[in-house]
Amino acid sequence: MSDPWQECMDHGVEITKEAGKMIRAALQKDIAVMQKSSPVDLVTETDQKVEQLIISSIRDKFPTHSFIGEESVAAGAPSILTDNPTWIIDPIDGTTNFVHRFPFVSVSIGFTVKKEIEFGIVYSCIEDKMYTARKGKGAFCNGAPIKVSGQQDISQSMVLTGMGFKKDPEQFKTILANVKTILTIPVHGIRSSGSAAVNMCLVACGSADAYYHMGIHCWDMAGGAVIVTEAGGVIMDISGGAFDLMSRRLIVASSRAIAERIAKEITEFPVGRDDTDG
Amino acid sequence: MSDWTDCLNFGLKVTKEASEIVLSAFHRQKEVKLKSSPADLVTETDQRVERVLISAIRDKYPLHRFIGEESVAAGERVVLTDEPTWIIDPIDGTVNFVHRFPFVAISIAFAVNKQTEFGIVYSVVEDKMFHAQRGRGSFLNGERQTASGQTDINRCVVVTEIGSERDDLALSTMTSNIFRLLKLPVHGVRALGTAAVDMCQVATGGADGYYHIGMHCWDIAASALIVTEAGGVVMDTDGSSFDMMSRKVIAASSSAVAVSISQVVQAFPCRRDDEDPARCVCGAAGVTAVNGV
Repeated sequence: MSDPWQECMDHGVEITKEAGKMIRAALQKDIAVMQKSSPVDLVTETDQKVEQLIISSIRDKFPTHSFIGEESVAAGAPSILTDNPTWIIDPIDGTTNFVHRFPFVSVSIGFTVKKEIEFGIVYSCIEDKMYTARKGKGAFCNGAPIKVSGQQDISQSMVLTGMGFKKDPEQFKTILANVKTILTIPVHGIRSSGSAAVNMCLVACGSADAYYHMGIHCWDMAGGAVIVTEAGGVIMDISGGAFDLMSRRLIVASSRAIAERIAKEITEFPVGRDDTDG
Repeated sequence: MSDWTDCLNFGLKVTKEASEIVLSAFHRQKEVKLKSSPADLVTETDQRVERVLISAIRDKYPLHRFIGEESVAAGERVVLTDEPTWIIDPIDGTVNFVHRFPFVAISIAFAVNKQTEFGIVYSVVEDKMFHAQRGRGSFLNGERQTASGQTDINRCVVVTEIGSERDDLALSTMTSNIFRLLKLPVHGVRALGTAAVDMCQVATGGADGYYHIGMHCWDIAASALIVTEAGGVVMDTDGSSFDMMSRKVIAASSSAVAVSISQVVQAFPCRRDDEDPARCVCGAAGVTAVNGV
């Protein structure tokens, strides 16, 4: 029986490769930076061009599909997830890294039908690592199968998180308190690459054992989520409950034991939702 | 004045050769021992790579001296004399190595009259060879590199590490340092897990600042020169001159950024690397065997 969404996935991978070329070409030039909500919430013309490239190419081939794209939402488009086939796109995950040429910059695409993620694509384009996963068919990096580390013991784990901009400086306190709490368990170490999608793929391929973050967006998570689960990992909400793509927060891990321990240790702070905030 | 180019070229050659041992071990199961804390790991590969490097160099330069991380862990003294001295970290990023987190470096600095003449940092999995020779520029895979030149801390990406200390004072100090930096604000804080590779991001311009408390001379001696030869600066976290034995460092794209970092970063007490060897931190807590990851 043929896979109704395989054609979409193949097209997604092709257009992602093109997007990666555009990003690498832009890195050779000067980058003019604009601000979104604050002096450290950056966007560039490349973010916008890459998103246009991806959306127009997909819309051409699949005119009835819906889109949730980071830069379209920034320009006022809604970010409500419906049952319709929907492409959830982050044209440059790690824009700060892109601006600085800190080498973790990815294109992330998650494709949902009836609000379920059917496939995910994350292309770490400076490293030239194409991560893909189709629900039920495993996870891959550059065509080779990947799987999570399988680590169950948090005291032997390496944990990723994000330490970037927050509009509310009070949140920095909680972020750092959480880092200290996790380190005290103890864990082997905490790392931060600057791209949520890359962090998720590092867990998927077994290079790290967990990643948690509050305050990211659905477009940061949709591609990586199915890559992690297809690699044998788990994904859940920061509270330990079920993962919610619009909740702006997640934990991914090599095992339920590690994910649940992190959920237990972390203090939450409010981050809003992608489907209710303006 | 001596030209140490022959030594540099020999250093690059043995580094590349030793990297084969690291790469082939990278994807395998490792047996892990603890050094000073549950996060201070060492493997047989660390020890083997250091032996291979030292014996190759000693063979060619029998009068030269060595400061090597694993030799020190086994009880040797950290003493930097005026003699030509190779300062070696066989695997910077051992925790990364154990986890297959792909930032693992061999770091070699060469000092004469206590001045670093050249530095080599090879990020093995990425295949990035960073090197610099005093007065002759800084290079990545043979291409000249320069620091970003950024002078405004609010536009900086800063890299740091939390390291292997797990006591409350160290953790509180380090997390509050990151808190104060984020509040300035800065563009972001990153951590790749190896001091040598972190610092090389400043040399390439990919990051604008790096600071660390608690690392050792072998972690940063090479990359400090790689940064300064790229046009960056290094200093102590209190704003005073860089001292590779002090276990504190700031590396930055400019003095302005380095000073800004020094104003928010506090240190916790660390014994100097060249202090009384009986009280040297490495190995002082004994060694415990733990089976692999």
